[in-house]
Amino acid sequence: MQDRIKEILKRSKADYTEIRIEEKETTRVVFRGKDLEVANANIDKGGFIRCLIKDKGWGVATFNNLEDLQNKAEQAYQCAQVGSVPERIELASVDPTENITAVEMKRDFRDIPLAEKKALAEHYNQILMEHSGKIIDTQAAYADSFTHLILANSEGTYIEQEKPSVIISAFAVSRDGDNVQQAHESLATTQGYEYVLDKDELALKAAQHAVDLLDAKPVKAGRYPVVVDQTLAGVFIHEAFGHLSEADFVYENPKAREMMTMGRKFGKGLLNVYDDGSILNQRGTTLYDDEGTPAMRNWLIREGILVGRLHSRQTAARMGEHASGNARALSYRFAPIVRMTNTAIENGTTPFEELIKDIELGVYACDAYGGETMLENFSFSSGYAYMIRNGRIAEMVKDVILAGNLFSTLENIDAIGNDFKWLNTGGGCGKANQAPLPVGMGAPHIRIQNVVIGGE
Amino acid sequence: MDILTQLKKQTEQVEVLSLQNEKTTVEYEANQLKTCTVAETKGTAVRVIRNGQLGFAASSDVSAMDKLAANALESAAYGDKAPFSFPDFKPAPIVRTFDKVVADLPIARLVEIGKEMLDLILPAAAEARCNISMERSLFSASIRNQKGLDISFKTSPLSISLEIDVIQADDVLILFDQVGTTVWQDDYLDLTRRLVDNLKRAKTITGIKPGKMPVLFAPTGTLALGLPLSQGLNGKDVYKGTSPMAGKIGERLFNEKITIIDDGTMDGKFASASYDDEGVPRRRNLLIEKGILKGFIYDLKTAAQSGVESTGNASRSLFNPPVPSFTNLVIQPGETALADILAGIDEGILVENVLGLGQGNTISGAFSNPLALAFKIEKGEIVGRVKDLSIAGNIYDLLKNISAVSKEAQWVYSTFYAPYILIPEMNVAGKG
Repeated sequence: MQDRIKEILKRSKADYTEIRIEEKETTRVVFRGKDLEVANANIDKGGFIRCLIKDKGWGVATFNNLEDLQNKAEQAYQCAQVGSVPERIELASVDPTENITAVEMKRDFRDIPLAEKKALAEHYNQILMEHSGKIIDTQAAYADSFTHLILANSEGTYIEQEKPSVIISAFAVSRDGDNVQQAHESLATTQGYEYVLDKDELALKAAQHAVDLLDAKPVKAGRYPVVVDQTLAGVFIHEAFGHLSEADFVYENPKAREMMTMGRKFGKGLLNVYDDGSILNQRGTTLYDDEGTPAMRNWLIREGILVGRLHSRQTAARMGEHASGNARALSYRFAPIVRMTNTAIENGTTPFEELIKDIELGVYACDAYGGETMLENFSFSSGYAYMIRNGRIAEMVKDVILAGNLFSTLENIDAIGNDFKWLNTGGGCGKANQAPLPVGMGAPHIRIQNVVIGGE
Repeated sequence: MDILTQLKKQTEQVEVLSLQNEKTTVEYEANQLKTCTVAETKGTAVRVIRNGQLGFAASSDVSAMDKLAANALESAAYGDKAPFSFPDFKPAPIVRTFDKVVADLPIARLVEIGKEMLDLILPAAAEARCNISMERSLFSASIRNQKGLDISFKTSPLSISLEIDVIQADDVLILFDQVGTTVWQDDYLDLTRRLVDNLKRAKTITGIKPGKMPVLFAPTGTLALGLPLSQGLNGKDVYKGTSPMAGKIGERLFNEKITIIDDGTMDGKFASASYDDEGVPRRRNLLIEKGILKGFIYDLKTAAQSGVESTGNASRSLFNPPVPSFTNLVIQPGETALADILAGIDEGILVENVLGLGQGNTISGAFSNPLALAFKIEKGEIVGRVKDLSIAGNIYDLLKNISAVSKEAQWVYSTFYAPYILIPEMNVAGKG
């Protein structure tokens, strides 16, 4: 395959040609209530070729039939030829790389029979169902995928990578009369099967939260000091800030360009934010992105000041910056676009007890349950939350929706915990129909003053 | 060995679907040609029934047939009880779904069509930002099963979708529609002309006092009513008991002006084919006749669960097992000319586009949508665009009382044929 790919790249008449060959095996088991809904395995193998003619544009061909690469390369070239871009497309330079890597798993999930995976999902589902008579619906799922990826381009890059993923998830719906609540937990890893074994506490937590929420009172709307747990802090920095750092968005949106001026103050000196695809074994780890740019740590906020953004080779060239390793594609059906990898708020110094001890009346918001952002405005629902009273965690409350302006909210972060954690939940990020793309998020607990909380 | 022959020996029943598609997409974004993509898909999906249990597996790797067979057998070991049999061969109606003219359309011609569309829009509204997507596919599939069924068919679907955004200060106007066909149509610019007419009409902005009033749904607007209705007519929801129409066949549920047909056998239409995705002949399914519920749509599994026959509505993609879904959904045009319907309205609105289709508890028949594009009708005339309004209601109440269905009807969103429908009184909410 390697020789064939190199031969085709050599022959291509385009200014730049890129080939990806992806082979992916997936297994999925889903229990819903007492029924097994899904237990099957699929094989997806395909390729992607794109050609750039700098004065015309990109042309793309995607395919399952790998026998006829030459013909596909020609199709992509013909597609590029009909284009007419308003300005010449340049690509920021990246050193060509040759690298072949393989992963090693302690227990390779490809060797585990479907029966065992089914038994595991059934076991977690059993825990959900048996936890309480108030649980009326459950879903427990197991999903794994193993991807082998070849990436090569006409500049001499040839990379082979392997990307394993295992996810378990537990979802419970509870009911008391007309009061219906739900809770969800998931765990994802890029390592072996052993990581999803013996995770009874995950199912228990989902079931218990669903039941506890039945008794929780809606939070009283108002402005509060809020302590946000690692999960919600991680999701917040990804959704509300991270997407604004994606250069394609900044470039195409004049309003965003104005907002995201380098050197602008984004928070107090204690705030540091980065995106880093090179951290081993995190969900968004991608040692080379889908254009062959090596992953690196990209500081976005340093000591409260905006210092960087995320790029593909095309956006980097357009804005006169360097490629950052953030051009990612969901699969061989898609061209790479600017995406986050592992995005995080750097660890701070304040222990959790210190974060809450001076709060007379506040909210401890945990877990994220959806959210929406529109430029600098955001709104997030927490999965569950507690009141903080006189420096202590008090009763559980529900319907906690944090809304506000990104800049004032970042500015209002006045303490950062010392308990940094990478989230290992199984969700993904969506952009331009490419979802769910695995991304990592990390943060310690953070305290934000003066947050508007919606609710009753 | 052929995978069907191999699996026949190891199972009671087996079905092999092979499909191949070549899709060419040309996209314009913000009035500029953005990308051109050719996507070829090839794959095989297998269903087996072994010890009465159903298994499923799929692969896009043609060289992995042994693994595909093993995956299907393993899946069956944990599968649901299969209440049905794969079908015997039955002759199907001849339906025209392939046109060499469409199949041979060069990429350059698709690019040119996009330019022709822009040339109609931009002179009428220089500030418009248009997104155009043109997709032409060459699709072929074969379905075989252990009973000797062995059919194959090909289609040449072509779709053109158009979104026009006009954003001026705080006025956001978004128009969207899509047409689809499997044979070449010379009137491919009609969609653009329709949207340009609306764009021109939308330039005049007027106000209306919210409250109860007559609401006339244009063909594009009827989707707000059609979507909850189609969900209730789906055999899967009927079997699960979530459809409000379950168990009501033969009852008069709607106004007698309402007749609804699912018809996968219409020549040249976007969702037409001779056979469905399980090899059952497609047919014309009369679902609601003059307000009386006549039937639902089913695939093999939901039909067997419900003790009826498949209606030829199985639909699937490579990596998912079949589900019942609509083909071409037709709301039968009525008796009244649109001009006469308009003439009878003293004050009301014409609904062209709604936002947030499908959100909320649609299976119950409830819908609640902000209006993306609506016009005020005053003394029989369309006098201007009205903004910041929303409508809400339940189709099981609203469609009992209809004052008119127009003679004129239109194909919208590729697979939906609808007339204008006048609801004599419904609540329109707004800022007032």
